[in-house]
Amino acid sequence: MTLATTDAVPPFSTIDAVVQALEGTGYFADRRLATAVFLALRLQRPLLLEGEPGVGKTELAKALSAALGREMLRLQCYDGLEQREALYEWNYAAQLLHMRAAEAQGTVRDVESEVYQPHYLIRRPLLQALQAPPPGAVLLIDEVDRADEPFEAFLLEYLGEYQVSIPELGTVGAVVSPVTVLTSNRTRDLNDAVKRRCLYHWLDYPERERELAIVRAQVPGAGEALSAQVAAFVQRLRSQPFANAFQRAPGIAESVEWARALVALDTLVLDPEVVADTAGLLFKQRDDVAALTPTLAAELLAPQA
Amino acid sequence: MNTVPQLGDARRGKLAGNIAGFGRALRRAGVPTDASRIALAAEAARLVGVESRIDLGAALEAVMVSREQDRLVFRELFDAWFRDPALARRMLAQMLPRAEGGAELPPRRPRVREALAAPRPPAAVPQGQEVEFDAAMSASDRRRLHHADFNALGAAEYRLVERLAREVPLPVPRFPARRLRVAAHESCHARMHWPGVLHEAARSGGEMFRLPRLERRLQPLPLLVLVDVSGSMERYARLLLAFLHAATRRAGRRDVFAFGTHLTDLTPTFRLADTDAMLAAAGAAIDDFAGGTRLGESLATLRQRHARRLVGRRTLVLLISDGLDTGEPAALAQELQWLRRHSRRLLWLNPLLRFEGYAPLARGAALLHRQADAMLAVHNLAALEQLAASLAALMRANR
Repeated sequence: MTLATTDAVPPFSTIDAVVQALEGTGYFADRRLATAVFLALRLQRPLLLEGEPGVGKTELAKALSAALGREMLRLQCYDGLEQREALYEWNYAAQLLHMRAAEAQGTVRDVESEVYQPHYLIRRPLLQALQAPPPGAVLLIDEVDRADEPFEAFLLEYLGEYQVSIPELGTVGAVVSPVTVLTSNRTRDLNDAVKRRCLYHWLDYPERERELAIVRAQVPGAGEALSAQVAAFVQRLRSQPFANAFQRAPGIAESVEWARALVALDTLVLDPEVVADTAGLLFKQRDDVAALTPTLAAELLAPQA
Repeated sequence: MNTVPQLGDARRGKLAGNIAGFGRALRRAGVPTDASRIALAAEAARLVGVESRIDLGAALEAVMVSREQDRLVFRELFDAWFRDPALARRMLAQMLPRAEGGAELPPRRPRVREALAAPRPPAAVPQGQEVEFDAAMSASDRRRLHHADFNALGAAEYRLVERLAREVPLPVPRFPARRLRVAAHESCHARMHWPGVLHEAARSGGEMFRLPRLERRLQPLPLLVLVDVSGSMERYARLLLAFLHAATRRAGRRDVFAFGTHLTDLTPTFRLADTDAMLAAAGAAIDDFAGGTRLGESLATLRQRHARRLVGRRTLVLLISDGLDTGEPAALAQELQWLRRHSRRLLWLNPLLRFEGYAPLARGAALLHRQADAMLAVHNLAALEQLAASLAALMRANR
C-alpha cells in the first residue's frame, strides 16, 4: 500500500495567517488557540480540544477543513464504538458471492487471498482520512471520551504514526498526513498514551469582543445594539455569582441560537420579559430555565456598577 | 534531520537549555512532562519564535500541558521562569501549596508527591506482624471479629479487621455493554460474527460449516461513592475507604468523593494501587475531616461541577453516611431528588443500623430514607458481606 509522504508545503507560515484563514471561514479563534492549531499543522500532531459544551470544538474542525480546502471526515464516538465502525469492514456479502462464484467456476485455488482484496474493503472514517487524495483530509474524532478505553488504545497507532494495520492486508500509511482534531467533554480522563500523542488545548468561553464578533458574523440580522446586549448578557450569566444559580452556563452555540431567535421575534432591545420568555434557548434544563426569572434577568441587564 | 544553522535555533543553545530546565521545574510542580515533550517543546519554540512571550507561552502550553487543571500552574510558572529562572526556582517552593490546593487534586506520580509533600510522619504502619497473625488466625477468632463493632475495636484488632475487610469481595453488578465479543456458545438469537464466518468459509472453500456469533460483553456498572467524613463518621470513613478501595479494584468506572462541610474529589487518590498510599493521599486531600456534615451543599457542588461523572443514568451511587446532617433540609431534599433521577440506584449505607431498633428519625436521615432506593448496613463484616448480595438483589428489582 502507499507509503507515508510528507506534505510539500506547510499551509500557514505564521500564527497570524492561521487567525486570518479561520476568520475567513467565520471562525473567530483567539491567539492561543491559533498557536495550538499552527503547531498542530506544522508538527503534524493531532490536536486534542477540551472544553465546556458549545465553545466551538467541533466548529474548529469544520473551519479548518474550509480554510485548508481539505475534505472533512467525522467520526462521532459513542459507547460501544468498535473498529469496524471506525476503521474498516469487509464487504461480507460480496466476499461470499465471490466465493460462490469461484466455487461454481471451479477455481477455488487460493480463495482466501482473493477474497481479502482492497476491493472488498468498506472504508470507515479513519481509513478514508488516511487514503484521502491530496490535499488530504481533516479528521474530526468527536467526543472521544464517549468511546470506551479499549477504543482509545486502538486509536494509538493512528494518532502516533498516521497508519493502521489491517491483518489481512498489512499496514496502511497516510497518503497525506490527515489534520486530526479530537474533542472531549471530559466525562472521564483520557488515557495518558492518547494525550502524549496529541497537542492539547483547553477552549474557554470567549471573551466579550470575540463573542460579539461571532454573534455579528453568524446573525447578521441582529442590530448592533442587540448583538452587544446579547454578548454582554451571556458574559455576565457565565460570571460569578450568577453562574452558581445554573447547572450549565450557555455556550457560544446557545448565544448564537438565542440571537437568531430574538431576531425572529423582532426584538430590538433586551428586556427582562423577553429574556425570561426565551430562556429555553439559553438553557437546556428545566431547572435552569425556571431559574432565569424576570427579576434575575433584570439584575443581569442592569448596567454594571 | 536537516541541520540548517539558524539564528536562535531552539534545539541547542541557551533557549533549549532553558526549556529543558523549565520542563523539569514543571515536573516538580506536578505537571507530568517527559523528555519527548521537552524535545517537542523546543521544536515548537523554534517554529513560533521567541519574539512574542505570549505566543511562546501558548506554544509551550499546547505541547506541555495535557490537563485542564494544570493550566494555571503552567502559566504562573511560565511567567516566572522566562523572566528569571533562578528566581523562579526559589519561587517554586512557595508555589507548591497552591498547586496542591487546586479544586481537583491532580493524580500525581508517587515520586512527584514525595518531591512535593511537606515531610509527614509515615502513614502506613509496618504490617509484618499483622500479616503473620492473620495467617495463623483460628476460626473462632474470625467469628468474634465478624460481629464486632469497628468502633469498639482496639488498635491491633482494628488493623486486623481492616485486612479482613479488604478481603471481602464486592462484585459490582454487571450489565450488558454495547461492546460485542465472540460468543462462546452459538445461540441462535445473537448477531453473526461476519469476519469469523468469512474466515471459516474461506478455509473450507466457501462452505459455512460453523457460524460464529457475537454477544454483548458484560461490564460492571459505573460506581459513584460518596463517603461522609464528618465527626460522627470518623472511624468508619477510614475503614470504609480502605474497604471500598480494595474491594472495587476490579470495578469499571469508579468515582469517589468525600464530604463533610464540602466536597473533596478522591478519584485520583483511588487510582493509587496501594491501599495505604491511597489512605495517606486521601488523608492529605480531605481537609474537613471530623468536622460537621453539610450533605446538601456537597451534593450541590457535585451537581454543578461533576455532573458528568454520572454516566448515562446507569451509575450506582453509594452514599455512606449516618444521616446526621446539619444543613438546610429543603435543599438536601432537592439535591437528593436530582441525584436519584440521574442514577440507576441510590443506596444509603448506614453504620447506625448497628443499633437495634434504629429508625431514621433525624431530619437528614428521614430525607435520605425517603429518597434512597435502599438502606443497607455497613457497620461490621457480616453486614459488608451481605452488601454484595443485597446489591445484586436491588439491581434485579424494579425501582
